[in-house]
Amino acid sequence: MQDTVTAIINPADEKGNYVEGEALDKLKQYFQTGAVRVKAATQIGSSAANIVSDTVAKSLLYGDITLPGGNMYPTRRYAACLRDLTYFLRYATYAMLAADASILDERILSGLKDTYASLGVPIEPTIQALQAMKDVVTQRVGTEAGQEMDVYIDHIITGLG
Amino acid sequence: MSIIAKVIAQSDRADRFPGSAELTQLQDYFNNSSARISAVQKLAANQQKIVDEGSQRFWAQCPNTPSNRGDAQKTALCQRDQGWYIRLVSYCVLAGNAKPLEDIGLDGMRDMYVSLGVPLANLKIAMGCLKSVALGLLSSEEAALAGPYFDQLVRAF
Repeated sequence: MQDTVTAIINPADEKGNYVEGEALDKLKQYFQTGAVRVKAATQIGSSAANIVSDTVAKSLLYGDITLPGGNMYPTRRYAACLRDLTYFLRYATYAMLAADASILDERILSGLKDTYASLGVPIEPTIQALQAMKDVVTQRVGTEAGQEMDVYIDHIITGLG
Repeated sequence: MSIIAKVIAQSDRADRFPGSAELTQLQDYFNNSSARISAVQKLAANQQKIVDEGSQRFWAQCPNTPSNRGDAQKTALCQRDQGWYIRLVSYCVLAGNAKPLEDIGLDGMRDMYVSLGVPLANLKIAMGCLKSVALGLLSSEEAALAGPYFDQLVRAF
């Protein structure tokens, strides 16, 4: 995976340069957001299960999907949905810390659409849940960190669409 | 790989969110980021000076060495490599860990210098001289950030 710092160091090394000028400014900007990122990761990590429950309550729980014949029925499939939403939340948090989406492409999105298609997991409700997750996360971590998380949750949504 | 990438990779391997010790580590890393930046700026601006003064100290301790035998081309090459190691240390200061030094400058380093006929024991002294000149130019906070990577460099030789 790549992160912002590595993504700045590697091209400098390719040219035998120090990290300076624009590249150093970019790094400074990232460093300035570091405290917000770490705080958000702490809050999200310590309440991940609640975030996922709230996300489901906000998006899927009261729909047909949890009824017999729906894709969150029976309990085994409900649990699988919780697990996947937890994955999405965890990887979006990693990407937010790194300020780099590449880990989402590598670890989440690569092959996901095919896997979901073969398992019969519907994309539309997944996206609905991810949209709800953005709101739930923002409520917990505040607007600034929430906007940053939105970038990476949106990246997953785009990748699924 | 940076300290951030490292924390993410080890969390990912264990299928969990970053733990509180890891997050504290990242918080510390971000807290002293302005000293990281200023340390790197000083190393970049003074690379030539560090190499020149380091060479003088090195040759005083170790006069019979390939870079001090009157072959200007060889001297330039040795000093170029020394400058590169200062640059790699600067990457480590930014990354918050030693991976840039290890991946770019230490993996395979012994084989390379043995094949070039440069004595590793002499290089170890040279790197120690670079370290002492470089740290002398930094504030104590900056030196505390860069010092461990210079130490690792010296140990590697």
